[in-house]
Amino acid sequence: MKWAFLLLFEIVFLPQNTAGLHAQPVDIYGYLESQYTGMYLYKVYYQFQSSKLRIDLKSTSVAHTEFGADFINLLYCGKRNWNVLEFLPDKIVASLPTEMYPLFQFAYEDSFYPDNIYARIGFNRFALTIGKQQISMGTGYFFNPTDVFNVKNMLDPTYEQPGHNAIRMDISLKSRFQVMALVSPINADWEHSGKFMRIKCGIGHFDFSVIGGKLDYSITDFYNFQTRRGSKKVLGGDVVGELIGLGVWAEGAYNYLDYDEDFYEFTFGTDYTLNSGFYTLIEYHRNSLAKADYTGYDLNDWMGFLTGETRSISRDEIACYFRYPATDLLTISTSIATSISDGSAVFVPTIEYSLFENINLSLMVNLYTGKEGKAFGRALGNGGLLRATLYF
Amino acid sequence: MDRFLNKTTLALCISVLFLCSANLYAEDLTADEIINTLTKTMNPEQSQGKMKMTIVTSTGEDRDFVYETSSKNHGEKTLLKYIEPTRLKGQAILLKNNANDIWTYFPRTKRIRKLATHARKQKLEGSDFSYEDMGASNTFIEEYNAVRLNDEKKEHHLCYKIKLTPKSKSSADYSKIIAWVDKKSFVPVVIDYFHKKYIELLEKELICRDIRVIDGIFTPMKFVMYNKLDNTQTSMEILNITYNIKLSDDLFTEMGMQQ
Repeated sequence: MKWAFLLLFEIVFLPQNTAGLHAQPVDIYGYLESQYTGMYLYKVYYQFQSSKLRIDLKSTSVAHTEFGADFINLLYCGKRNWNVLEFLPDKIVASLPTEMYPLFQFAYEDSFYPDNIYARIGFNRFALTIGKQQISMGTGYFFNPTDVFNVKNMLDPTYEQPGHNAIRMDISLKSRFQVMALVSPINADWEHSGKFMRIKCGIGHFDFSVIGGKLDYSITDFYNFQTRRGSKKVLGGDVVGELIGLGVWAEGAYNYLDYDEDFYEFTFGTDYTLNSGFYTLIEYHRNSLAKADYTGYDLNDWMGFLTGETRSISRDEIACYFRYPATDLLTISTSIATSISDGSAVFVPTIEYSLFENINLSLMVNLYTGKEGKAFGRALGNGGLLRATLYF
Repeated sequence: MDRFLNKTTLALCISVLFLCSANLYAEDLTADEIINTLTKTMNPEQSQGKMKMTIVTSTGEDRDFVYETSSKNHGEKTLLKYIEPTRLKGQAILLKNNANDIWTYFPRTKRIRKLATHARKQKLEGSDFSYEDMGASNTFIEEYNAVRLNDEKKEHHLCYKIKLTPKSKSSADYSKIIAWVDKKSFVPVVIDYFHKKYIELLEKELICRDIRVIDGIFTPMKFVMYNKLDNTQTSMEILNITYNIKLSDDLFTEMGMQQ
């Protein structure tokens, strides 16, 4: 931990000191987020609190360059130690030998880490970004099948994603015609490094993208905790635009796996805002890797979903989002996600209040309705969180 | 001396005649001509500057937003980038085709999202201005019929008074609009917007103040939108602006939003 603080000290203070000498200021900003989470699990109320401090550093003082970094410090208290098996159906847990139970334990550990550190050289039509950086793909709100780097949390889909190591190049060939290519050197050799490309163009009210890439993947067999690694090729695309006054988008990707069954994912959705400001969104998602019959969900399906190896556990899902600005400071919204495959659903009513100019309060409740074993079963824990965010 | 006086007298006569004819011409302007000139005045060819938006919230608190704005082709392309407050710093909004195409950029996630035109009516950060208001607007010409009423003095300016009523089959948001247009600058000094359903109910009032000539263009440095229904108000102040600038089309792209 000591090295991390020293590193932060150097990054925060040294540029400021040199700023006086060379007039190269560094913007320092970020947020402090304190979050209380409560959850009923099998009639027992659990609680834990997390405090997150994110410090962003950014310098654009040298023409055509941007140097950025952010550091995250996370502190937890309350129930920090969990066992994933507590959330899984009894029949799956019962099928495991008891000596395996400790393998499913995990703990929220206090941590301090650099999330993004990058340098960007940008001109009017060309940009090169090197380092750990944010990469986001796709047009979907809840699901992004073309985003091979991130898996969104359906309960909080707009929350920031972790940074990814990459060398990324963006070229703007025309006003609405861009090419993005990146290499993600995860492994030592070129062969196993991720390569990804996106071509994006705009025609009328529509933006179209075609993506293709080759990346490593891993699938873990949680019955014996052996991980199989291979490479996968991804081919897909997305579109976003407007039809008869409605916002529309679609996104899909086909995944060719080295050692496992190929699969595809696609999503499409629509949104509309009424004159009152009431916003509605609906999105459908299909994942051919997931099962249609919930009685067939096994340990690997659940663990793959909970660890983010797969995007969904049920094959067909629909998610809706409604938002209404009740006042200029108060916004109420609700997300509803339902599995068409097994009929379960989760409701996520949320209230957001802008307490002061740079302080936001959020109250988010999650209510799972399905019976045990279904995608949105009550066994996943009903509860909610209260989040206060101070931006500085 | 006589020759000088004669020349001076001649010049004065010509000037007076010119001014009289100009005034006569101005007096003869039709409502449509006034609205066309107003639209041109308020949407200059190119501009770049810094704006401060202050919202008086329902709790009576002031909230300040500072952003850079660049505009091209009489506002057909507009780019906004937030500088303050810190929670929005770096967030950008790109409006093209007179706000018929909108993209938003979120710097924390580096995500760019395209919004459909229905989002144009959404309030910008809870203010009394919408996305649509931030782009160019030919709304007065395209959506409304203009009728000239008797000239009036408003906010210490001698003004043309214009009544705008929705054209048939228009998607206008108001039952009528009354605009007081300064005769000298063609800046709308006051605009009253009336409720679409309750046609005599004043919904919003826009007041433009501190008209200055910048780079040869009349510019209201401050304007305030009063929302009479919500009892809120949003003011805009131009901190700096220039019109003598040549902006590249590359600025109004996804890459431009991120720079």
